Amino acid sequence: MVAGFFTVAAAYAQAPSPTPGAAPNPSASPAEDQAGSELKEHHRHHHHGGVTKFIAMSLDTLGVDDAKRPQIEKLQSDLHAQMAAARETEKSLLLTLADGIAAGTVDTAKVDAAIAKLTAAADAVQGASLDTLNKLHAILSPSERAALADKVEAHWEVWRQVNHDAEPGGREHGGRLARLTEEVSLTPDQVTKISAALQTALAGGSAKFDPQKAEAHVKAFATAFAGDPYDAKVVSSNANGNLASRGATRMAVFYETVTPLLTPDQRTKLAAELREHGNYKPAPSAK
Amino acid sequence: MNRRLVTTLAGAVVASCLASTPARAGIEIQIFPPAWYIATARPVYYEGHAAYWYGSRWHYRDGRGWRTYNEEPRYLREYRAHREPERHYYEREHDRRHWEHDRDR
Repeated sequence: MVAGFFTVAAAYAQAPSPTPGAAPNPSASPAEDQAGSELKEHHRHHHHGGVTKFIAMSLDTLGVDDAKRPQIEKLQSDLHAQMAAARETEKSLLLTLADGIAAGTVDTAKVDAAIAKLTAAADAVQGASLDTLNKLHAILSPSERAALADKVEAHWEVWRQVNHDAEPGGREHGGRLARLTEEVSLTPDQVTKISAALQTALAGGSAKFDPQKAEAHVKAFATAFAGDPYDAKVVSSNANGNLASRGATRMAVFYETVTPLLTPDQRTKLAAELREHGNYKPAPSAK
Repeated sequence: MNRRLVTTLAGAVVASCLASTPARAGIEIQIFPPAWYIATARPVYYEGHAAYWYGSRWHYRDGRGWRTYNEEPRYLREYRAHREPERHYYEREHDRRHWEHDRDR
């Protein structure tokens, strides 16, 4: 069945009304393409700035005109710089996981310490980025501000789907386990065992994360930023630490759980993948 | 104005409609751009909106909902004739930078 967010338009409808608001549902689209798949993989591994990171990423595709591009790239660089401490902590976490995977055992105490540090660093990003967000608002036109707000909400939808809504151990196409199956060529028996182990390991994890807090932060930002005047200080919600903690924890538990169920060759491949994610360095790419 | 305003129903309701009237003329299914598309696609600004080319149609947000141009506006058609709507590939970009980093070492 065709899924997704639909409209049924009767061609002979007499007084059609505008589409009432609901965000597009990313989870049900039947035609997710390569760019969408890569975005999900990115959001599974990078949690260092929470909503601020969604804002910085939204600038990648905002579509500003050429005259504004240098200024936007500068502000995007500034946002990345304000997230640098959190990104370094995330790198340390990813490399710790990679080392553990390669060795066959993940040092969970070291991982937990890195997640706590990442959470604190992500929490501090919001306060550091206020001036940059005000400058960004001043440069953009009303339609560009609205588009940015849409994109931030879209990143949040995708992030929530892959880090919260997705069933632990789920075997859906495009899911984390399906991706791992492709990356390291899991056998059907391994998939079955890993799926069961993940269901156990991640059981109850969703209860520890309240998506409403992040939702409130995203909505508060989107509403304020699309309006005029704007002052970044009025967005008092700060879910950046929550998002970092939830995303990093789910990622860590995933890798801690699968590691003992992989062969040495598979662990080598997976560790290399995680090291690549750890060495990720964002660069201004406003288009 | 060549827009079609459409009535939205959630997926489950749509499925119900389709099941009961599978071949009824006049029923059209439109798929609006999902979140992963909005997050990775560069829009084109037209009539004060960010328009996205998705599913062979241009769509734009109007308030909290989406609308679709039933007929492609000339400006957007000409834009598309000269420039392919751009997407951002996060992993590919990552791989490219990684390759450049290795190359430059």
